Amino acid sequence: MEMPRGIPGNLISADARSAVSQKSAAISRERKETAIRTIWFLTALSAIIAVFFILLFLLRDSLPVFENTGIIPFLTGTTWYPTGNPPEYGILILIVGTVLVTLGAMVFAVPLSIGCAIYISELAPLRAKNILKPAIELLAGIPSVVYGFFGLVVLTDVIRTTFDTPTGETWLAGSILLGIMALPTIISISEDAISMVPREYKEGSLAIGATRWQTISRVIVPGALSGITAAIILGFGRAIGETMAVLMVTGNAAIIPDPIWNVLSPVRTLTGTLGIEMGEVAVGSDHYAALFGIAVILLAITLIVNSIAVMILNNLRERHMGGAHRKSIALQTLLAWIKRPLILGGLFLFIVALFLILSFYVAVPILACLGAVYFIRDRLSPKQAEKVAFGLIITSVIIVLLILVLLLQDIVIHGLPALSWEFLTQSPKDLGRSGGIFPAIVGTFYLVIGAILIAIPLGVGAAIYLIEYTKESRVTRFIRTAVDLLNGTPSIVFGLFGLAFLVYFLDFGVSLIAGQVTLALMVLPTMIRATEESLKNIPQSLREGSLALGATRWQTIHRVVLPPAVPGIVTGTILSIGRAAGETAPIMFTAVVFSQRYLTSSVFEPVMALPYHLYILATNVPGSSTNKYGTALVLLLLVIGIYSVAIFVRTHFQKKLRG
Amino acid sequence: MNKRTHPRLFVILGLVILLVGAMAVAGCTDSAKKTSAVPPVPTTAVLTPSQAPVSSPAAQQAAAASGTTAPATSGQKGTLKVSGSTTVLPIAQKAAEAYLATNPDADIQVTGGGSGVGVQQIGEKSVDIGMSSRELSATEKTKYPILYKTVVAKDGIAIIVNPANEIRVISAQNAADIYTGKITKWSQVFGGNVPGTNNQIVVVGRDSASGTREFFDKDGAGILKGAPPVKSMLEKNSNGAVTQTIAQTPGAIGYVSIGFVDSSVKALPIWWNDPDKAVAPTRENVLTKAYPINRELFMFTNGQPTGLAKDYIGFILSPDGQKIVGEEGYVSLI
Repeated sequence: MEMPRGIPGNLISADARSAVSQKSAAISRERKETAIRTIWFLTALSAIIAVFFILLFLLRDSLPVFENTGIIPFLTGTTWYPTGNPPEYGILILIVGTVLVTLGAMVFAVPLSIGCAIYISELAPLRAKNILKPAIELLAGIPSVVYGFFGLVVLTDVIRTTFDTPTGETWLAGSILLGIMALPTIISISEDAISMVPREYKEGSLAIGATRWQTISRVIVPGALSGITAAIILGFGRAIGETMAVLMVTGNAAIIPDPIWNVLSPVRTLTGTLGIEMGEVAVGSDHYAALFGIAVILLAITLIVNSIAVMILNNLRERHMGGAHRKSIALQTLLAWIKRPLILGGLFLFIVALFLILSFYVAVPILACLGAVYFIRDRLSPKQAEKVAFGLIITSVIIVLLILVLLLQDIVIHGLPALSWEFLTQSPKDLGRSGGIFPAIVGTFYLVIGAILIAIPLGVGAAIYLIEYTKESRVTRFIRTAVDLLNGTPSIVFGLFGLAFLVYFLDFGVSLIAGQVTLALMVLPTMIRATEESLKNIPQSLREGSLALGATRWQTIHRVVLPPAVPGIVTGTILSIGRAAGETAPIMFTAVVFSQRYLTSSVFEPVMALPYHLYILATNVPGSSTNKYGTALVLLLLVIGIYSVAIFVRTHFQKKLRG
Repeated sequence: MNKRTHPRLFVILGLVILLVGAMAVAGCTDSAKKTSAVPPVPTTAVLTPSQAPVSSPAAQQAAAASGTTAPATSGQKGTLKVSGSTTVLPIAQKAAEAYLATNPDADIQVTGGGSGVGVQQIGEKSVDIGMSSRELSATEKTKYPILYKTVVAKDGIAIIVNPANEIRVISAQNAADIYTGKITKWSQVFGGNVPGTNNQIVVVGRDSASGTREFFDKDGAGILKGAPPVKSMLEKNSNGAVTQTIAQTPGAIGYVSIGFVDSSVKALPIWWNDPDKAVAPTRENVLTKAYPINRELFMFTNGQPTGLAKDYIGFILSPDGQKIVGEEGYVSLI
């Protein structure tokens, strides 16, 4: 370093000293930066490693069925009869069942969720918003077993009496239930995405004279499309991977509905089959391998759907923002040519199908409605269109709230009589019919806190690495695909993975730590995606400004980028807590016992847990109805308690953001 | 910068303290808040085999052995892990409660998971007793040759219908025809009628890996005798779920373990050759084998049971234990 000329001696030495110390400070800062970057890289790697381990383990255990039965017969066989002679392992009907139920669930959930998300972020007054958002997240905290019971006792009965079918255990029941379970995920993450759209977009749109609805539908929602797609993918993963609830309400009859649109027919899904047969099957047998084959196929379906969703997203994004690809002139003219006839032809087919499927008296009003919508749409003034749209949105909010109230009142009314001091502080007696559930409360608390403590650093770290330290490339897309794949894995597969790897291979035995790691793996995708989306929404200008002022990357991240992203991260945490607290399948084989005398004193011992206790009471202990609901109510209260802490943190950070 | 991090720091600090405090409270009340029926002894936790995370086979075997070779006196020490069939779970659980009342130094950890998981876990020596409601399959027998079977109870399988159904008795042949799909309406069955519906039969059964279903489908004394059930049969994953479905669906028919028959469903007596000689699925009839659709419930151990496991199983087989079996609705051996 050169000494400047003509400067007094003592200043030179001060400069020289500061220069040297600056250099060493720079070196140590750089080392620190590299160290931090490596840490985040390792967390991102851990997500991929987890996915690969699970995939490997699934493939290994499913190999026998692919060898013996062959992939094509397995996929296209129409009989699932493992106890037959000879046993038959054909899952075509199961695949159809899964597709139908999940499709139905998405049809039910997506419009309602987007409507609610728009309402909460754009239309709701502040007080309503502060109540609505936590209320909907509450839906995520209801255990899947409770959903299953609500479905079995209330929903199927309603369907049976309303549609006058012999039984209410149908495709419709499964779709509605799964749709309800996916609602909180889609709503929360979409709402976060919509509220992160820069204000300038909205203000600019309103300034040029667009109505609020035009602004929302043409500017804001397209601007939040990335987040909304992520939300739908996560919701879809939740729906396709749900085991317990769906096996209780779809009837599990391995038939294809006849005709195929008959929503009142029982169906059987892939996860239902896994859930219903896994516990009783002989480990290592052909049946066991076939069940693992089902798990592999489920992952494949999730992969396909996720890829399609990403393709659609890219397509939409290109259309809205003028993509880099330009189709050739020839292709464009061709498309323009066939567009009109294609639409007319499609419409004709649709009308014919409608008349064939539904009775005459139903088809005509539907056609009339659709025709009216089409003609009126262009004649409505923007103001009137806005009123209609807002009316629909408010209807969707009311429907979601109604569902929440129905579920809660069922639990609260039946569970309140069971609550007492003894119930909360004593151990169960008489198989859980009397006594209390204190050890289960403590066990659930340990499991959830442990899972979150593992999932938050890994999830947030992986997301930080993906967004901040790398450019969007094939590697990051690969990681994201792996994470989405993990998201669509059924909860029972996590349980089996935990059993084979953590309980047996690593020899933790059935223990708290095995349960915590399994649950952490299950909620990892939600954490990563939610964090990613909130980081993506921070404007690049903030980062550039900070770096321009001389801050290092890590300083930029943790002082400029992270704080505004915290509300989104907390939303992801809340959803994860709800899921971790309420799931039975992942902990069933890895961490829980139904009863033990002492409270757990180390992470290597098993615990009791509320969802599992509830599950056993409900399925194997006749005469325990009150305690069953009491357990569900206590679980809900526990989840609300943990939520309140998280929501407090989120509100605190949001207030700081607003200044 | 300092002004901004302080409040955040406090929030985080506060949360951490809350967390640690909650765990400390829960941990400290470990010794204070135990099962009210039994005086607390915190030192037993030291003997738990599961606390050894070492994966060496020798350590594992030693740990498993120490859990089962405690001295066979009435003041038993040690921890016993029991897992497996959820049908046998109520028996194991109630017996454990009674046993622990007289053995304050012992701990018995009971869990479900299914017969398949139970057999695997006892075979892999991660539990001390594996419960099962079915016999070992061929694969299991080759994989775990030293498993030792103890019969702890008997169980009957009853055919149940909704109380609104007017049917009083059912023939085994009709039951088989209903389950294979040859009969689809209650009006085709003698005495069957469900007022207010179109008499469509809703057939409910168990999942294909269930021991209960295996007996119903396959066993010589069962109903289906190996014929495949109709494809539209609804499959449920537990006795409780079958009872629940039958109780709320007027046209349904199902089969459950007799311990699950309660006032919300109607259990049908079955006749084979003579309608006047229908046999009801009561415990007495199962005991005397007048009602032939029954099975045995097992507990498996690695080799002959020793120590705490031997004592516990001995308790279940004793008159007191068998009384518990009867109270839970199963059929005792004596």
